[in-house]
Amino acid sequence: MLIAILNILLLVACAPLVSGLISGIKNNLRMRRGQSVFQPYYNLAKLCAKEEVVSETASWIFKAAPLVVIASMLTAAVLMPWCIVAGPLRQAGDLLALIFIFSLGRFFLALAALDTGSSFGGMGSSREMFISSLAEPVFCLVVFTLSLQFGSTDIAAVSGMHAVSVASIIAATALFLVTLAETARVPVDNQETHLELTMVHEAMVLEYSGRRLAFIEMAAYIKQMILFFLIAQIIFPIALPVFGGVSEIMLWLLWYAARLVIVAIAVALVEVSVAKMRLFRVADFLGYAFVLSIVAVLCALLGV
Amino acid sequence: MRELILFGIIAATYLMVIAKRVPALIRSFRYQSFFLFLITLAAAIEEGHADLYWVALLILILKVLFVPYAMYRIARRINVDENLGLLVNSQLSLLIALALTYCSRIFSRTLGFHQDFRAVAITVAFAVVFIGAFLMVSRMKAFTQVTGLLVMENGIFLFGSFLSGGMPFLVEIAISLDVLISVIIMGLFVYRINKVFTHIDVNKLSRLRG
Repeated sequence: MLIAILNILLLVACAPLVSGLISGIKNNLRMRRGQSVFQPYYNLAKLCAKEEVVSETASWIFKAAPLVVIASMLTAAVLMPWCIVAGPLRQAGDLLALIFIFSLGRFFLALAALDTGSSFGGMGSSREMFISSLAEPVFCLVVFTLSLQFGSTDIAAVSGMHAVSVASIIAATALFLVTLAETARVPVDNQETHLELTMVHEAMVLEYSGRRLAFIEMAAYIKQMILFFLIAQIIFPIALPVFGGVSEIMLWLLWYAARLVIVAIAVALVEVSVAKMRLFRVADFLGYAFVLSIVAVLCALLGV
Repeated sequence: MRELILFGIIAATYLMVIAKRVPALIRSFRYQSFFLFLITLAAAIEEGHADLYWVALLILILKVLFVPYAMYRIARRINVDENLGLLVNSQLSLLIALALTYCSRIFSRTLGFHQDFRAVAITVAFAVVFIGAFLMVSRMKAFTQVTGLLVMENGIFLFGSFLSGGMPFLVEIAISLDVLISVIIMGLFVYRINKVFTHIDVNKLSRLRG
């Protein structure tokens, strides 16, 4: 139990590093020097130290939403089987619960963005809901593909697989496209700018400052970590560590981290090589992911 | 491994369905042909026929390199408008393509293929043929209709190579040459249509011009 909690804490602590790594790779590819890989940590520390400004028209929802968001992401993190077969709260929920926990956080964030009455917030939340209404079915179908192969929707399904099948690779491809949308990456959203016409996630959190903004950013990092972990676990299934020698465990840890880095590199490559889409092209993009996920379900039914 | 390549073919075909512009369409056609090359190569390695290596090489040169290049050139020469002129919007096209894929699955089952590699291969082959036909009827530009024909040809090649265990080498060469000639003729044809009517929109071809 203690090991499991330590494991989760470690992975949550590493979550901002993944974001830093992606921006580091992007800067390298663009021949820029860029910020340090640890910049997300400095940002979080800075935000925690800053004074908070809350709009006069905001109600309690505005103040409560960041807590709901971070709490839901932490719950999702506790559910995940990060290293051991089952997370500590294995009985509390399955893979479908994970999707709904994600939705809970998103719902409150959208609500809070509407709460302050600024036009940007409303625009951001309407766009976010538009995108997520297209992304969520794909996520569900990916989950169904996994559970068809495993025989249940238990969350341990993702670490129960030790062989890659065609269906799970297709599912991972669809999940990768959804991840780009869910973590506000380039073809759908752009984390680097605050341009009025294009921002989605940034528009929603525009009114936030100080500690509450830090909570929201941290929640986004954890969500990204969970999605990357799912993709990595589907494409590179990993057996349990054999607690034999120190060198074996070190090798296992190295491969464990390398999988996440591979996914991060893939995301960074997509981000530098693709231009941001118009909002209504996102429907095509996620529609494509939807079709891929249905093909994955068909493949799982065919047994390949 | 071979199932993954088949998945690549069907994924490239879906990319052609959502393509809204000419370069995207040609690029996805190139991906599709490349996966076709890979699967022929895999079959050649597995069965060890020298003929199959030649067929694979032919596909690489003709369909991956030459035909897309020729299509780019045609597109540049007639200054084809970037938009493809969709009669059915891309989301709906995608859903129709999905329905066609499922139909071809049912079709392959009625043919007696149930749950092995050949069942997947036949399904993909039928799906590619159907989607090619769908591309031909649902896009307005003459250019896309040529592409739809090429997609259908790829599907028929796939079907032939998996149902009959590969066609004779001579037939393969003859078909490839046919495709080459058809691309050249279509190129000239599209060029002529464009010159006479100043556009290649087939909807407007029904009006006579004196």
